[in-house]
Amino acid sequence: MIRLYRVSKEYAGVGALIDVSVHVTKGEFCYISGPSGAGKSTLLKLLYGAIKPTRGKLLINNIDMGPAKDRDIAHLRRHMGVVFQDFKLIPRRTVAENVGLALEVLGTPREVIGRRVAAVLSIVGLRGRGDELPLSLSGGEQQRVAVARAIVNDPAVILADEPTGNLDGAMAIEVMEVLQAVNLRGTTVMVATHDAGLMQRFPYRTLRFRAGRLEAS
Amino acid sequence: MSHSAHVLRRAARSIWENLYLHSVSVGVIASALLLVGVFLSVQFNLNRMVTDWTRDVHVSAYFLPDVPEQRRFAIRERLAKDPRVAKVVYVSEEEAQDWLIARVEGVSTALAELGPGVLPASVEITLVDGAVAAPNSFVDLLPADEFSDVDMGQDWVARFNEFLRTLQLLGALLGVIITATALFVVSNTVNLVIYSRRDEVEIEKLVGASTSFIIAPFLIEGAIQGVAGGVLAVGGLWSVHAVLVHRLQNSIQIGVANEMVFLPPTWIGLLVAAGLVLGLGASTLSVTRFLSRAA
Repeated sequence: MIRLYRVSKEYAGVGALIDVSVHVTKGEFCYISGPSGAGKSTLLKLLYGAIKPTRGKLLINNIDMGPAKDRDIAHLRRHMGVVFQDFKLIPRRTVAENVGLALEVLGTPREVIGRRVAAVLSIVGLRGRGDELPLSLSGGEQQRVAVARAIVNDPAVILADEPTGNLDGAMAIEVMEVLQAVNLRGTTVMVATHDAGLMQRFPYRTLRFRAGRLEAS
Repeated sequence: MSHSAHVLRRAARSIWENLYLHSVSVGVIASALLLVGVFLSVQFNLNRMVTDWTRDVHVSAYFLPDVPEQRRFAIRERLAKDPRVAKVVYVSEEEAQDWLIARVEGVSTALAELGPGVLPASVEITLVDGAVAAPNSFVDLLPADEFSDVDMGQDWVARFNEFLRTLQLLGALLGVIITATALFVVSNTVNLVIYSRRDEVEIEKLVGASTSFIIAPFLIEGAIQGVAGGVLAVGGLWSVHAVLVHRLQNSIQIGVANEMVFLPPTWIGLLVAAGLVLGLGASTLSVTRFLSRAA
């Protein structure tokens, strides 16, 4: 599913990720942990194609992300869900429209989008909230909208960058439960977090980073 | 099909959400095309008039005063038989004087003081279409010992054509300046629209939208703005034309106002197409610049 062979990423000669080799199998749930500046976000950016490795080889579904062109990355992202700490929702669009965007880019007919969005909003506990605007929701609800958008197209992999970072304890657990449920349906989930409590409550394999190096896997 | 529907919906929505900015773009395109249209219209009508005048070119040959009337009639007959001549009219001194008195108010007193024979008798020769191009070839029919002056009637048309060529050059220059200015203003207003939707574009890229999916709504918006600007310009041009013809008809008693015509459908189509190209060009410029910066 995801393979890194001695991957490094440098910014202006400074190593943000150094010589990392990892293999994440299909359907696995794993954490990417470490203190600030450890390289968690850099790894996620490499995985969703926002940046390219300086050295090494990164394969996702056998696609080499190094030489991959923009259209290859766009194609890959259609089978990938990404969740951010700051939600990244479009404030002018309703909850349903935000979630449906991931299906719009696939050219899914409007009626199908309506049905799928309603089903996914039910899964994340937001049934009947589709017509509301994101800013009228709480932080936890907004993050659940972001998760709904990430899972609405049945992606093979979900990448979450500190998805619970802006949420209080109860809301963080709600979001983790949704991600866990998605993983149980066979989706690979990778969560970047430094929340030790969360990792204890939902124990999975942890890729531990420090100063850009993989310490433990 | 579904992709197109999504794209069209997003374009319509963006126009609605950024109505003010889109109106500014449409206004700029319409103003630019209106200026170009007015210029084209003036040029089109002048060209048309010159073509008509060129077709009507006739030669005026003024008799020397000592040529007897019988000889003048003989010359008229000889000219009428020439295959290059469509029509010959003999104008006597008296007829020339009457013609001038009828057209120039107050000249009769001056003419009376000067006495008879002030204006020479002449023959007005209208040429057949094929001969218009070379009226100078008539010199052999108009011997210098019988005519004081021969007006080939083409010199001023040539000068006017020269003026039209200068006007065309100025028009092209003006067109380039106006188009570049409009392109600059419109692409900057499109920039504002893109800037207001940059978060949306970023999220679209994150969920795997293709470049065409991202830029298509902007291009559609540009095309709609361009066509709307073009149609508005044509409407404005029609109003300017109507007002101008009305004013000219009321203020001067010459046939120019009646001869003025509105631009033909092909030119109107080209003006609207220019709007489309302008809107589309400005959008393409802005969106590609934005995406290359965002990459």
